[in-house]
Amino acid sequence: MRKPIVTTLIMLIFAAYFIFPFYWLTIGTTKNVSQLFQKSLLPGVPNNFLENVRAIFTYQNGLFFQWLANSFLYAGLGALVAIIIACMAGYAFRRYDFFGKKLLFMLILGFAMVPVFATTLPLFMLFRDLKLINTRLAVLLPSFVHVFSVYLMISYWNQVPEEIFNAAQIDGANDLLIFFRIGLPNLIPGCITLFLLVFVGIWNNFFLPLVVINSRARMPLVLGITTITDPQGFPVYNLTLTSSFFTILPLLILFILLQKHFKPQLYTGR
Amino acid sequence: MMDEMMMDKMMTKRRMSKKTLASIKAYLFLAPFLLLFITMVVYPIALGAKLSLYGQRGARMWYIGLQNFATIFQDPKFWESFRIPFFLLTVQVPLMLFSAMIIAFLYEKMEKHGGGLYRFIYYLPHTIPGIVTGIVWSYIFSDSMSPFRPVLDLLGFSGTKILTRPNLQFILLLITLWAFTGYTAFVIYSSLIAIPKAFSEQAQLDGATFWQIAFKIKMPFLRDVCITLFIFNAIGAIQVFNEPWMLGKLVVLPSNYTPAMYIYNSAFAQGRFTYAAAMGLILALLTFIFSLYILRNATKQMLTGESQLLP
Repeated sequence: MRKPIVTTLIMLIFAAYFIFPFYWLTIGTTKNVSQLFQKSLLPGVPNNFLENVRAIFTYQNGLFFQWLANSFLYAGLGALVAIIIACMAGYAFRRYDFFGKKLLFMLILGFAMVPVFATTLPLFMLFRDLKLINTRLAVLLPSFVHVFSVYLMISYWNQVPEEIFNAAQIDGANDLLIFFRIGLPNLIPGCITLFLLVFVGIWNNFFLPLVVINSRARMPLVLGITTITDPQGFPVYNLTLTSSFFTILPLLILFILLQKHFKPQLYTGR
Repeated sequence: MMDEMMMDKMMTKRRMSKKTLASIKAYLFLAPFLLLFITMVVYPIALGAKLSLYGQRGARMWYIGLQNFATIFQDPKFWESFRIPFFLLTVQVPLMLFSAMIIAFLYEKMEKHGGGLYRFIYYLPHTIPGIVTGIVWSYIFSDSMSPFRPVLDLLGFSGTKILTRPNLQFILLLITLWAFTGYTAFVIYSSLIAIPKAFSEQAQLDGATFWQIAFKIKMPFLRDVCITLFIFNAIGAIQVFNEPWMLGKLVVLPSNYTPAMYIYNSAFAQGRFTYAAAMGLILALLTFIFSLYILRNATKQMLTGESQLLP
């Protein structure tokens, strides 16, 4: 087949637009502030990457690593719990004809798209009364509920054929056994996809920690890196860029390694 | 006769108790979710609704009915905050949906020439946090660091600043297009490849060109996914916060640059929590109205047993 030259050219131009900020960020990590001000599109000469990395790693006695650990805790534990409870809820919808099923489904859908700006403020008031403000629980607890993944879990469970459940039931398996032994293995691919979706969602969530966390030691990366200043309180551009680079690095690695599990699901993620 | 009625009754009873038993089991499985759903989502909304009916000064609060809402509707700053969402909704979203559709067609055309690689590259911006997007782009456009600055200087525009308030909405346009076009194209592409091949093959035999097939035959199939995407993006446009918040570190922005920023600033800069809660409720209501179409479709799909909202 003939290679479509014009189309390739168009695709390359688009690709340049999508790649450019990544490129600029990467060369930005090799520069100090005065090199950044030179506005060149080439890596800094001399290359200051290692100096920037050292400065970030030693910034305020390793605060960066604290942010990194927080991000992994919030996103990892948050996504894990969210997926488990969503999986259980999805199973209930798949297997049982229970009172209030339709109503509950409509409620779940209706609340799936409530903007965070409507819930986060009252959550702040609630957490303030419970003395949870500025604790890690204040980020974790809301992260445990990912309403949209319940909806997706219901659809995943619906794809498991009825016969599998019936056969297991005839063999005398009880409901818990069916959930773990029969159902879950069928759902693993869906669970991985959802885990990634929720993990990235929490990792990238800025607004919730902005509202409920004020001590820098408990901030996740996305919030922490916006607070980097020199002792006079001025922004330090090279350090902000270098830490941004390390904020997205785990995401890019995850995305590249687990590409086939990244199935975009429509939802409002921000 | 009696026996039959008895049987009937017993059957109903047994069916009832069967449903009761199923309900008990179901709610055991639902318990962890329901507990968190109620405390972290439903209760806060109810609390927000209650707060919106209160006046507040410092820690003192008192009931004022719908006074907050009356004030909001007469608050020009509230209405002005919708300028950016409106701009995004009328310019960015249509532009993005159109280019994403073209890109999705091109993915198909390039299937044997590295289409997968392009899909991967275009999707990348969507995987990174909005705040990092905001940092990188705001630096790229800042006059002290922008690689475009030397170009402008060379062309004789050395006096023209890049990062200014009037330019900001266009910068925001470029940023949001950058962040979401690849994702949108991917979603459209997923529906595109689900269209039965028979349609395009027949047209091809009749001598239709690639673009004729794309626009005349395939586009109608994309109607639903485009409507859904439009709604999600409309919701996203109302809620835009991270990118302007980051840009606001380099340019002075008014507290009401977007509705979400106005809510945040009202609550945390001015301490008007109940007023902010009322605005949050209005935003939630707007979102809900926008999403009704999707909700209706999803409920229909669930009740007819069809499994998924989208690819």
